Amino acid sequence: MSEDSFREQLEQPLTRRQVLHGALVGGATISAGGLLSACGGSISPAVLVPPPIEPIKAGGSVRIGATGGGSKDVIDAHLPAVDPDIMRNWNLYESLATRPANFGPLQMLLAESIEPEKGSAKTWTVKLKPGLEFHNGKSVTADDVIFSINRIIDPKNPKVGATSIGYIDTAKMKKLDNLTIRIPLKFPNATFPDDIGQYFNAIVPVGYDPNKPVGTGAFMYESFTPGQQSVFKRFPNYWEHPKPYVDQLTIIDFTDDTARVNALLGGEVDAIDNLPTGVIAELQGNKALRVLVSETGEWQPFTMRVDKSPFNDVRVRQAFRLMVNRPQMIEQVLLRQGRLANDMYSPYDPAYAASLPQRHQDLEQAKSLLKAAGHEGLAVELVTGPIFQGVQAAAQVFAQQASAAGVKVAIRQVDTTTFYGPNYLGWTFAQDFWATRQYLPQVAQGSLPSSPFNETHWADPTFIKLIQQARAQLDESKRNEILLHAQTIEYERGGYIIPYFSDQVDAYSTKLTGFEPAKSGFPLGNYWFKNVGYKA
Amino acid sequence: MSKFLIRRIIFGILTLFLVSIVVFAATQALPGNAARAILGRSATPERVAALTAQLHLNQSVASQYGHWLGGVLSGNLGISAATQQSVAHLIAGRLANSAFLVLVAAIVALPLSIGLGVWMAVKRDRPADHVLSMTTLVLAALPEFVIGIVLVVLLATNVAHVFPAVSLVPPGEHAWDEPSVVVLPAATLVIAVTPYISRIMRASMVEVLESDYVTMARLKGLSNRVVIWRHAVPNAIVPAIQVSALQLAYMAGGVVVIEFVFSYPGMGAQLVDSVANRDVPVVQALTIIIAAVYVILNLLADLATILVTPRLRTAGR
Repeated sequence: MSEDSFREQLEQPLTRRQVLHGALVGGATISAGGLLSACGGSISPAVLVPPPIEPIKAGGSVRIGATGGGSKDVIDAHLPAVDPDIMRNWNLYESLATRPANFGPLQMLLAESIEPEKGSAKTWTVKLKPGLEFHNGKSVTADDVIFSINRIIDPKNPKVGATSIGYIDTAKMKKLDNLTIRIPLKFPNATFPDDIGQYFNAIVPVGYDPNKPVGTGAFMYESFTPGQQSVFKRFPNYWEHPKPYVDQLTIIDFTDDTARVNALLGGEVDAIDNLPTGVIAELQGNKALRVLVSETGEWQPFTMRVDKSPFNDVRVRQAFRLMVNRPQMIEQVLLRQGRLANDMYSPYDPAYAASLPQRHQDLEQAKSLLKAAGHEGLAVELVTGPIFQGVQAAAQVFAQQASAAGVKVAIRQVDTTTFYGPNYLGWTFAQDFWATRQYLPQVAQGSLPSSPFNETHWADPTFIKLIQQARAQLDESKRNEILLHAQTIEYERGGYIIPYFSDQVDAYSTKLTGFEPAKSGFPLGNYWFKNVGYKA
Repeated sequence: MSKFLIRRIIFGILTLFLVSIVVFAATQALPGNAARAILGRSATPERVAALTAQLHLNQSVASQYGHWLGGVLSGNLGISAATQQSVAHLIAGRLANSAFLVLVAAIVALPLSIGLGVWMAVKRDRPADHVLSMTTLVLAALPEFVIGIVLVVLLATNVAHVFPAVSLVPPGEHAWDEPSVVVLPAATLVIAVTPYISRIMRASMVEVLESDYVTMARLKGLSNRVVIWRHAVPNAIVPAIQVSALQLAYMAGGVVVIEFVFSYPGMGAQLVDSVANRDVPVVQALTIIIAAVYVILNLLADLATILVTPRLRTAGR
């Protein structure tokens, strides 16, 4: 099959999906499988069929099988690292605001509003919803917000979120009244509400003790054993009445994918996240189970260090992007469970530069660029590891595709701790994975010299200037214009190769209902088990 | 005899000491440390520095080892770097679960495989022997995870729902509180080790049955049963004892694959997890325990060999 014909067929459902996006929630079904089967492939991907909306009843106990986990599991609101940690986090704690499952406009959680002061993105006012309660009965106040932010940024013991909101001028934070806080920033940032709303920036009560975890989430702590399981019970005073529906939630760690799937098949758990691609078809044929497919903005890039030979020559980076046969990679790595990407991230941001032409494999162009750069017969080392589902397979496919352009890619497999060892963020050519984010928050995480995870060592002066301008710009359409320029620079000269956005695939027992697809890439509908219950 | 025991025990302790040094050196050679392992993807230099200090990982290698050894000699296995719990507390439950699994598997597998071996030897070259020899050969060639998955498919998920597909043991409880969770993992172990022991038993039994003293015993008119169990088996069992000890030690080391397939909370999965976490105190504790089991089982096997072999039994006198 030629790359072009396949690409058209892949693109078609994508645009249809976007057009029909609004209708999806109402229960429309789109058969991407039907379109894809026309090209003669034998496997058709699980399609995006939103689960039916069914009446739900209160009560019961739900057991969820989570991927991975081990003795380093944590329950601290500000230190989530692995999948079960994040799952616990979404259910025990809450931040001020979050992106909803469809990644539309920010949805307020604990905050009633997060507004810039006097038309400047440099100072923000957060107003809390009145009458909110922590699990221990204490009401949620401005002091708790200030305490939480200080706990996250604490320079002596910075937490996960320190990199996302480190620009808050903590010394000048001010409680205006019991429910209102003024939060000044060190520089103007129009995306502050997105940053403060990340799940790892949850609000905890003053004097929070991670050994007796207290939050505002839909479920309350009952027990937690690292690497094994955690048991939570329903928080009766949860603000979003009548949620949550179930009385008890048990999260069980599974080191092995097969064991997790078997536990679901055997009825030892009621839902599992991250269905291995190989068993999707089998589980779809099982009447007792439902497969939940979510289209997401998750991306697993190849990272080229723009300051290191050979990638310090922009022509080499361009050649590498042209060597990739993206549709083939989607087919072989994701078994078609993904969508074409264009070396840019944040597809759900209204600022996303969809107008830039889709990049296709062009081996002749790639070869001539490499020749011009004096790198004919180039040999590079690609560092990979089991850091995310599919990345090692993607490395293999990349190496094979690159050989067609005369580039020899030696793959170096390392274990996760070595990958994140002393050479982390220093590898010349490696891989990584990112969740769905809006553009500016993502730039703050990975595309500025000040970013904590700038794995490509990207430091383009024009780009930096544009980002600073965009951050200070509160008018969305003007901001998006600036961001189009910024993305064009990354599209032309950046250090990422982004072949696709991967789907999130989970499964659950048909006895349950309430799961909805989430573009965030967080499994099982944003891990929001407050929406889930037994069918009435 | 007692001289032999004392010498073996001293050698055993020396072995354990060497193992601890080798394992400690190996953990130091692994790239990254516990702080980086815990932080994973979010390992920014600031957070690595803060956590490294918090976990006391910035001490010298020698002083870390000395600290650990001092603790062990005073009965304290230390604190796990990943969980900040005491190592003893962390591994006690898993140790008990692994021990229980091995015990159940051994109680079934040892008599079964000795019996099978004897039976095959007695029925040598008859159809029953051929069928069993073939079957044990095929089973011996199958990796444990294949056996485990076939059992799951047959007895837990696709065909019949008789036993739990995964062995979830709620924290604070033990595998014996819910014995059904042990059935499939133990059955997998039994199927995995029985072929080895029974084939060894068959081979040595065949040899013994051809020996002069067995012919003599038969000529004396002893019953077949007495010939086999009183005269042949005690002489044929020595290789089987040695192999059984090795198989038991191998199971006790935590059969990681089986623990993964069934999500069984045993030592093997904990060891893999701790190596990935660079959690040196836990790795040290578990490897020492596994090494000790090897040493003790080998010692027991040698003692048993001496007891069933009159020549050796009387040699020291």
